[in-house]
Amino acid sequence: MDDQEKGSVVDAQGKTPRDINRQIKELIGAGETRIRVIGASAQHNLGVGIVEPVSIRFEGSVGYYCGGLIDGPKLEIQGSAGWGLGESMNSGTIEVHGNVGNSCAASIRGGTLVIHGNAGARAGVSMKGGLLIIAGDCGYMTGFMMQKGVIVVCGDAGPALADSMYEGCIFVGGEIEELGNDTVVSDSDEEDRRFLDDNLASWGIGTDNSFRKVVSGRRLWNFDKQEIGIWKEAL
Amino acid sequence: MCGIVGYLDRSGGDQAPIGDILVQMLSTLSCRGPDSAGVAIYGESQEPNLLLRIKLGEQGDFREEGAELADRIGGIAPIVEQDVFPGYLRLVLGPLTDAEVLIDRIQRLSLDLELVSAGRQMEIIKQVGSPANLDRSYSVSSLKGTHGLGHTRLSTESRVDLSHSQPFWAQGVPDLATAHNGHITNYHKLRRQYEQRGVRFFTENDSEIIGIYLRDQLSRGHTLEKALSNSLDDFDGSFCYLAATRDSLAYVKDRFALKPLTVAESANWVAIATEEIALRTSLPGDFEVHEPGAREVALWSVPGLAVETT
Repeated sequence: MDDQEKGSVVDAQGKTPRDINRQIKELIGAGETRIRVIGASAQHNLGVGIVEPVSIRFEGSVGYYCGGLIDGPKLEIQGSAGWGLGESMNSGTIEVHGNVGNSCAASIRGGTLVIHGNAGARAGVSMKGGLLIIAGDCGYMTGFMMQKGVIVVCGDAGPALADSMYEGCIFVGGEIEELGNDTVVSDSDEEDRRFLDDNLASWGIGTDNSFRKVVSGRRLWNFDKQEIGIWKEAL
Repeated sequence: MCGIVGYLDRSGGDQAPIGDILVQMLSTLSCRGPDSAGVAIYGESQEPNLLLRIKLGEQGDFREEGAELADRIGGIAPIVEQDVFPGYLRLVLGPLTDAEVLIDRIQRLSLDLELVSAGRQMEIIKQVGSPANLDRSYSVSSLKGTHGLGHTRLSTESRVDLSHSQPFWAQGVPDLATAHNGHITNYHKLRRQYEQRGVRFFTENDSEIIGIYLRDQLSRGHTLEKALSNSLDDFDGSFCYLAATRDSLAYVKDRFALKPLTVAESANWVAIATEEIALRTSLPGDFEVHEPGAREVALWSVPGLAVETT
């Protein structure tokens, strides 16, 4: 029996998101630090807005916006997740064992999301900090307009990777189908390799791939009418 | 928002509980849009007969009109079965060799006549209201078959009535049905082009263009798969849509992946739904779910069916 097994149980079967979340909050209010949510069948908005350092395990799939606006908890999802996983989270961790839909880690300011499967389109859109690790492949426009933080993709990246990114960086272990506007592949150094090795190992993700580092080309930072061509392309 | 669902049984028989599964999945998604609901079910083959559903009206008792219309159609082709439901006249005609010629002749009977579906195997059942009401009206959940698709609608651009509900039959092509979530934003432009060529539209719903487009592509000699992938470049806007024929079920996701869709497969079935919750609450066992990517087209064949493809 792992530690989580000793936690209180919330049975999500046949319940509305509101009732499931209320039960979770009541347990946290009563001082519980380990919660298991069983029978989740991809209901939406589960585990949102939690600001206590508790550990919650969803034994099943979750729907849209799971773990949105969290600050501190540790969430584990044993199935897959829908759109907007962890949207705008501030700190904490979310680990998903299956696949996730579009826009995971949208606008996050901190914390870590780990996807053991594949991610849909626009993963890490507008990230403002934090770390997003995708053990599988990621879809169209991953890292679109990201401003800070790190995305690690162990598998292949879809088209328009990191389109119009401002800052931050994306490590890709597999093939890059197409780079987005104003992005460049830069050299990675020893520090990058240590960062990847440490983080991937701590989440039990093994890969033989060597990573390429994608960063902003910074040409869209300032408008220059001599370069009108790249603006036309980007907009 | 709308909800779309599709299901295909891989056992090779034609007695899978398609209606029950589609209704369950649609009911879970009805919060995405309860304006109207519908299914296209591929049941037992009626070959060499043709199965028709003709709209009689929106509200009221249309039994007299139904009987009258059946008499007129009986003058064109022999009627094997005849039923009048609240909004529909359901006919089985046959035996027939050329279904398309007959469909054309029936449509020429009157400008008001609207065929909701026509096929050797497929019938579309739809009405205003929730999926649960659709089941209460037509006992959809008792219908068996090989595969099917369904739709629950949140109307955004056009009116709410039976004609504007989905799935749509691709007017003129037996057994081809579509269900769409999203907007085809170059609909008016495409519609003008088709109307200039004499194509008739029955609704102002942008989703109707999908079936018209696929019919046009098929008539140019493209395979269904090629027609579906061509639509990625010819349609603007946000869309996930499903298309089904007698021997296949397919989905298409737009180039920006703007609309949600989830897919799961097992050895026994393929299931597609706008949200994973519809799959988890309607299908047994443990299975993996994934979200298709931008510009993704996938097509599954119905096993055990010896249908000639064109």
